[in-house]
Amino acid sequence: MAQLTARFRTENRRFVVEDVPFSVPATSETTDLSQLINKLLAAAHADHKYVEFDFLINGQFLRLPLVTHMEMENISTEEVVEIEYVEKYMAPQPEECIFHDDWISSVQATEEWILTGCYDQTARIWSVEGKSIMTIAGHTEVVKDVAWVKQDSLSCLLLSASMDQTVLLWEWNMEKNKVKALHCCRGHAGSVESVAVDCTRTKFCSGSWDKMLKIWSAVPTDEEDEMEEAANRPRKKQKTEQLGLTRTPLATLSGHIEAISSVLWSDAEEICSASWDHTIKIWDAETGDLKSTLTGNKVFNSVSYSPLCRRLASGSTDRHIRLWDPRSKDGSLVLLSLTSHTGWVTSVKWSPTHEHQLISGSLDNIVKLWDTRSCKAPLYDLAAHEDKVLCVDWTEAGLLLSGGADNKLYCYRYPATASDVGA
Amino acid sequence: MEQPSPSGGSPELSDSEQSEESSVYSGLEDSGSDSECSGNGEEEEEEEEEEEEEAPGSPSGPQAQAPGKRKTLEDDSPLEGKQDLVVHDEYEEDSSDEEDIRNTVGNIPMEWYQDFPHVGYDLDGKKIYKPLRSKDELDLFLEKMENPEYWRTVQDGQTGAEVPLSEEQLELIRRLQRGNFGDVGFDPYEPAVDFFSHEVRIHPVTNRPADKRSFIPSLVEKEKVSKLVHAIKMGWIQPRKPKENVPTFYDLWAREDPNSVLGRHKMHVPAPKIPLPGHAESYNPPPEFLLSPEEQLAWEQQDPAERRPSFIPRKFRSLRAVPAYSRFIHERFERCLDLYLCPRQRRMRVNVDPEDLIPKLPRPRDLQPFPTTQALIYRGHSSLVRTLSVSPSGQWLVSGSDDGTVRFWEVSTARCLRSIPVGSVVRSVAWNPNPSICLVAVALDEQVLLVNPGLGDRLLVAATDQLLDSWEAPEEERIQPVRWIPAGPEERGKGIRLLVQHDKPVTQVTWHGKGDYWASVVRNPGGRQVLIHQSSRRWSQNPFRKSPGMIQCVRFHPLRPYFLVASQRSVRVYNLLRQELTRKLQSNCQWISSMAVHPGGDNVICGSYDSKLAWFDLDLSTRPYRLLRHHGRAVRAVAFHRRFPLFASGSDDGSVIVCHGMVYSDLLQNALLVPLKVLRGHAARLQLGVLDVAFHPQQPWLFSAGADGTLRLYA
Repeated sequence: MAQLTARFRTENRRFVVEDVPFSVPATSETTDLSQLINKLLAAAHADHKYVEFDFLINGQFLRLPLVTHMEMENISTEEVVEIEYVEKYMAPQPEECIFHDDWISSVQATEEWILTGCYDQTARIWSVEGKSIMTIAGHTEVVKDVAWVKQDSLSCLLLSASMDQTVLLWEWNMEKNKVKALHCCRGHAGSVESVAVDCTRTKFCSGSWDKMLKIWSAVPTDEEDEMEEAANRPRKKQKTEQLGLTRTPLATLSGHIEAISSVLWSDAEEICSASWDHTIKIWDAETGDLKSTLTGNKVFNSVSYSPLCRRLASGSTDRHIRLWDPRSKDGSLVLLSLTSHTGWVTSVKWSPTHEHQLISGSLDNIVKLWDTRSCKAPLYDLAAHEDKVLCVDWTEAGLLLSGGADNKLYCYRYPATASDVGA
Repeated sequence: MEQPSPSGGSPELSDSEQSEESSVYSGLEDSGSDSECSGNGEEEEEEEEEEEEEAPGSPSGPQAQAPGKRKTLEDDSPLEGKQDLVVHDEYEEDSSDEEDIRNTVGNIPMEWYQDFPHVGYDLDGKKIYKPLRSKDELDLFLEKMENPEYWRTVQDGQTGAEVPLSEEQLELIRRLQRGNFGDVGFDPYEPAVDFFSHEVRIHPVTNRPADKRSFIPSLVEKEKVSKLVHAIKMGWIQPRKPKENVPTFYDLWAREDPNSVLGRHKMHVPAPKIPLPGHAESYNPPPEFLLSPEEQLAWEQQDPAERRPSFIPRKFRSLRAVPAYSRFIHERFERCLDLYLCPRQRRMRVNVDPEDLIPKLPRPRDLQPFPTTQALIYRGHSSLVRTLSVSPSGQWLVSGSDDGTVRFWEVSTARCLRSIPVGSVVRSVAWNPNPSICLVAVALDEQVLLVNPGLGDRLLVAATDQLLDSWEAPEEERIQPVRWIPAGPEERGKGIRLLVQHDKPVTQVTWHGKGDYWASVVRNPGGRQVLIHQSSRRWSQNPFRKSPGMIQCVRFHPLRPYFLVASQRSVRVYNLLRQELTRKLQSNCQWISSMAVHPGGDNVICGSYDSKLAWFDLDLSTRPYRLLRHHGRAVRAVAFHRRFPLFASGSDDGSVIVCHGMVYSDLLQNALLVPLKVLRGHAARLQLGVLDVAFHPQQPWLFSAGADGTLRLYA
């Protein structure tokens, strides 16, 4: 079979071609089809500039020769095949490489600032240009996770969770460029692996190796919470004062039977926690009840939720990224698995702007940019790291961040193309 | 024959009447009369001839015919008058034929008079006396000699008188003696003449007029016929089937058992097919098949059974020139010998599919989860890593290396969190299995260090320190085999809490499950080799008075107060409470290197330097239940998983083999051992590969320490 009949369609009005069946070579690939569309567009508009396109057949990206793809997807080659085309997503452009002193355990970025947690027991604030703004020292152990709480014009609230079993709430005065530990959240009996702030920015939850999930208030206050343990020694007391007022959890959610590796707020009152006991549990933050459980068969390293497509993506101690529907009651239903990594997936993050895209970092030193419409191959491999990738983040401004065991934080600019904003 | 035929009688009546005077016997005897009067009856000559033929030797004496005569007379009353003339003395003995009138006793058995002197009575009623037996033997003899009638003289039973037998009587006796009939004229071989013959006679047999019923139809018959007709109409009577004129054959083997026939066929051994002769066998082979002199010499020097080919190809001018086969007689003889000597019994070869002999093991895929791929490499040690141990929480890993450091790692990221330089080769590390105690025992040189790594819960770390510091020295100093030395401030800063100074190099430390007791193995051949310590009381003791050979490895039983001691060849199980040897397991290995106890407590595995892994079932036997030879080189370490039915062995060939070892609670079911996966990754260095293996306490993950200075995690 040498020729196939195809009809091309697009959502983007700029690139509409005539809706007639075209005969295209069966073995044509994306570049061939892209040239064909460009020729058609050039014939229609004199001022057309060359644009790379990507092609979708039945919602799946075309990555192979057309006929091979259709054979694999069991699409009849006898009929007219409808091919949707979108402007090709541009490769992320590397911007900065921020050097740290030690492994980077976590990263979270806002429009202007990047907050990283580091294995040298500090959290660091960087500007997006890669300038070191602030080093926050206070933990006595490795900082495992960091989170922004609130950003005002003058000051910022931020959180750092550490292996020393505490979560510290810091206030960063931007004018004076000073940080102050407002509260020391004590209560976990193991290293705190993950923190997440809710959408109202007044609460946060933390998951720890001691199998507990705790909800804390993120509002700074002046008085110290009463401590249950009376045996406070002077030495400890002094230390506590240095690190701010001690805070105790609002609620403790117990139910996991192994360490909790990742927590997030999927809704205003819904917490999602991934654990080493092979489950993702969804909790009601208000009542503290367990709402549902998704059961996998591997240890979960990381979980991410996209409000755009309402899916959970999980990275676990195997090569796959799995997509879950958190609303399904029966649980343990994997919608899709994205397989291309060769090591454990340590970190996943959905795109805040695009419902199909996510990035993942893995122990195989590669960060991959995925489109869920192409589950066999990622859109781009970002192979800059020289050691394990431990954390990834994606800001709304289109900044991709990844940090790892090579002490480097890589930033990539990923401009959202005009066509996929609405897509 | 004697009875004259009634049909023939009536015509002869006229004949006899015609020739009345011709014969006295006429009319009495048909044949006789006919023969006599043949000349008279000319017209009936043919008939007479027939009769003559039928009765040839009929003429006989008048006496012999007497009974027949009488009968005839009685039957044929018309002839009566004529007979009177002939038998004049007919009534002389009319009273009784057999009666002797001289004796009147009648026809009775004469034995009745045996005991009497008389034998009867005469007509006058006088007794008839038996003749006197006055004659003696001499008289008898004289009479016998003189009387010529003596031999024919018999005694009359009725009268007792001696009567000489007449000639006729003698003749009768002789005839009877010869077996002949008494009657001379009787011919036993007379031809039989059927009274009724096949010939239809014109005259009826009787004169009786025909019955009336023979003229009217019979009602009974009519009834019978009508019944038959009705039955035929109704189809009850079927006409007889015409006989098929088909020749019938018999199946000779129909009764034979088919199995025996099949068996006979099965027993058939086809002769082996002999390959067709090739060019070399030809009488005129191509020259390349002919052997050169050297080849021929080599051929001759070979053993006759090994010669290839078994003959020497030779070339002849023509087929006519081919000589007779010289070994013909020899080979024929051998062939006969073969046939004669060959065993007639067929040996049944068991036809077993080799696939069936392989034990049916479940597929490894069905036994998930188990470690399959290498996930993480823990780099940092600069020399070979001898030993490792995982914290009970599964978050940390401790390893001891030849570079003189003990390193603590974060399991999930392979991050080395702490490194404690200890200054010499670390032989063994063991993390306290009690999750509420944060303590690691490190064996190096002649010391065992109890290290508090400061990882995990702060409270537990503090509690552990408190536990160790709360010891108070007893009043009286007890003599101990070791010295317990509290760590100095510098060492304390590194985490070391206590030093236990032995007198000989320590090779292994292991904790009891409760986390208070621990045991150390000392390299001290002949002396005390095992010590059991209690860390909270800082108390050590030597459990054995006598050491059982060179001790390789010791373990505490996870559930019972048992202590397992592996020496070179055997494993001894001691009961610590009763202080006695409970069991001795024979390993069948040359040199045991390592040992692990199943968390259930009933199974033990031992690795050995001769690359074997022995699985013991303590309930089953003191011999290994299974001896696994999967490794190519010495097995250095073995480990059981605490939760999953997995065990692993690390070897000098750089590989770790993970096996499924399911132990059933049912005592009757043996453990199921399935090799699952060979995990490679470690590079062999200095002839050493994997030196230690350990499982993650919760996840199906496996850690291995290698001679290449790395630790690896397989998940």
